[in-house]
Amino acid sequence: MADEYKDIKTFDQKEWIKENLSYKKDSGSWAWIYHRITGIALIAYLFLHVYSLSTLTDGKAAFETKMSTFTSGPYLVLEWVLFIFVLFHSLNGVRIVLVDLADGAKYHKTLYKVSWIAGIILFLGMGYIMFSHLLLK
Amino acid sequence: MFKYQSSKSSGSRSWMLQRITGIALVVFAIGHYILMHYNLDSGHTYQAVLNRMQYSWYRIIDLVFLTLGMYHGLNGLWGIFRDYKMQPWLKITLVSALVILGIAFTAWGYVIIFSIPYPNTLTLN
Repeated sequence: MADEYKDIKTFDQKEWIKENLSYKKDSGSWAWIYHRITGIALIAYLFLHVYSLSTLTDGKAAFETKMSTFTSGPYLVLEWVLFIFVLFHSLNGVRIVLVDLADGAKYHKTLYKVSWIAGIILFLGMGYIMFSHLLLK
Repeated sequence: MFKYQSSKSSGSRSWMLQRITGIALVVFAIGHYILMHYNLDSGHTYQAVLNRMQYSWYRIIDLVFLTLGMYHGLNGLWGIFRDYKMQPWLKITLVSALVILGIAFTAWGYVIIFSIPYPNTLTLN
């Protein structure tokens, strides 16, 4: 092996979690990590969503009994939290498409920042839409 | 080695499909959020669902939304699994599990959507 390679740090297989965490992360790495986490959460939610709507087959009474749970306070907050996952995955997904297909590699960091700003505004807007009629009634 | 590890396809078609379905899902999701949160009733009462479901095109939109979501989600999960070194038996097990779960839950969703009656149409006839 040539000498020029001897200073290159090798990957320690046994400490792979530690090794991965030790990488210096820029906005793109964080976007990648969050995209995975939100993606896993969203597909899990889709399964749950099909299950939770299954009472539609049992008619009005069964459906509205179940829905009364989902429209109670804690569930509405969870629904709002879900919107964070949807927003991140959607906005970052658009960013990924632009990077892949529209020369976005040149401006992906700006896009990432814009996504966060847009996401926070939309999240707060949704909070107003979801909770204003409860608080102001 | 790569020939042994994976199929002949490069995966570029599935990569492109993931982008196309992703953009489609964003569009569907915007519509979904507007309908569900226009007010509390529009998203959470049986009557609101029943009223919407009188339009067959709305059922079709729901079916497409569900199918695309399942495809995009499970293909995404498979993309995550594929990042790790796996024995062939584990690969086959995981793919089978994802496909079976995907088909089962999509079919369940279809059954739910088709089971919602058309009372308005029935009274007219």
